[in-house]
Amino acid sequence: MAELTTDLGFLRLKNPIIPASGTFGYGIEFGRFFDLNLLGAMVLKGVYWDPRPGNPPPRIRETHGGLLNSIGLAGPGAEKLAPIVRQLAAQTTTPIIINVCGANDDEYLNVAGYFDLLPEVAALELNISCPNVKANGRCPALDDRHTYRLVKKIRDAVKKPLLVKLSPNAPQVVDVATAAESAGADGLSVANTLLGLAVDVASRKPVFKNFYAGYSGPAIKPLILKLVWEVTRAVSIPVIGIGGIVSGQDVLEYILAGAHAIQTGTINLIEPAASVRILNELHELARAYHITDLTEIRGKLKP
Amino acid sequence: MARIHDSDEPLLRRPLGILNCENDSIWLYFQVRGRGTLALSQRHPGEEIDLLGPLGNGFPPFSGKSILLIAGGRGIVPLFFYLRTHAAENNLLLAYGARSRSDLTFIDELKPWPLRQTFFYTEDGSFSRKGRVTDNLIDIIISEKVDATISCGPDAMLHRLSQILPDTPLGHFVSLEALMGCGFGICHSCAVMTSSGEYQKVCEDGPVFPITDIAWPN
Repeated sequence: MAELTTDLGFLRLKNPIIPASGTFGYGIEFGRFFDLNLLGAMVLKGVYWDPRPGNPPPRIRETHGGLLNSIGLAGPGAEKLAPIVRQLAAQTTTPIIINVCGANDDEYLNVAGYFDLLPEVAALELNISCPNVKANGRCPALDDRHTYRLVKKIRDAVKKPLLVKLSPNAPQVVDVATAAESAGADGLSVANTLLGLAVDVASRKPVFKNFYAGYSGPAIKPLILKLVWEVTRAVSIPVIGIGGIVSGQDVLEYILAGAHAIQTGTINLIEPAASVRILNELHELARAYHITDLTEIRGKLKP
Repeated sequence: MARIHDSDEPLLRRPLGILNCENDSIWLYFQVRGRGTLALSQRHPGEEIDLLGPLGNGFPPFSGKSILLIAGGRGIVPLFFYLRTHAAENNLLLAYGARSRSDLTFIDELKPWPLRQTFFYTEDGSFSRKGRVTDNLIDIIISEKVDATISCGPDAMLHRLSQILPDTPLGHFVSLEALMGCGFGICHSCAVMTSSGEYQKVCEDGPVFPITDIAWPN
């Protein structure tokens, strides 16, 4: 068996497989499909301080090799999530990561501060990149100065490890990544969904009321692999790759491109136990490629 | 939720209604509408498909009651399943409408089942009564002393039902369709607005809802 233990510096994972926020509910729902202890970590669905109803339907549209979503971070709010986190922590020892959302700096601070005090929480992932909340997909992660200011504010306020989830829609993602690093991020999640547009020909209107929607699935893997390669060249904190991962092969590609770990996303909606299958495939591939430790190949893509 | 197991295209499962379930077999019945249903329809006997289910709730079972089943088009699928499984304990009636005779699926298969009354409608008049399934429901409910209705069909039909159904002792239950991502409550794609002003998930909280729980568009 290859050594899949992944050291993020701030958190040691038994393997690099982490289900991504928004595709894994609150973890508990997946306990009926597989043993949650098999995972490296898990990121729960993004949470604001206040309850959020989410966007008006339609909220999903399938594309070739992917899908567009306009869910809008529906959720119960921070105080109702806390008992769910405790319930989940009672079922598994797998590290729990909270995806922190906010409509403004104060809300980000409230949510981050609240979960910073929960002993069941291993780390925070700052979601500054959801494309489905504000008009035209605006979010802090589009701009390096905005990112620096917000990350710094949260960093100064919380003790737990802080991941920052970047947007692939920023004009200069590498600048945003280095801004997050200088502001004190412990790691980067690269990346959230791409902005996409679906058109209804009959009505000549966009399919989604928010106009744009978030594009994910196997189709986006090459784009995010490129980002992970570029970002890991520029920063020295660990990067978690997220984009179109559906197989153990995909995981190795991301690690070769420089990622420390990966998050599984869209595939969780289709195949609830996908993360476990991917983990098994990773073990088999590591054996086939004679990889004894993933650190041997991390970032070893030969240009 | 069904998909073919050996291809990533299309990616998502398709939400399909169960027509029957007996011993080790499940019958799914669907119309070919796009890539997903086409791929499923091209499987041959003995080949595998990838199925996740059964998911969500069902119609209330009732016992010793007079229940009117209201079906529009392929909405007959879950109602036929209800008929198979609940005819023995209840007194069932069926109102079933479609565009024309050829769209009244299973009309012959329904014959052996104990239905106290049947009311068939075709919009083009090619079979039985000309009109829509919603045309005479009030008369049927009153004259047949119906305790509750369960219904499945196009949105427009269900919306119409919400406007016309008179009060009955046990109420009215509709089975909704929605675009779905996962089918097991994770993605929140199939949200439906309820009368309390909150979204619920068709896949997990439904697909069956009391008709008064849904915020029908004005």
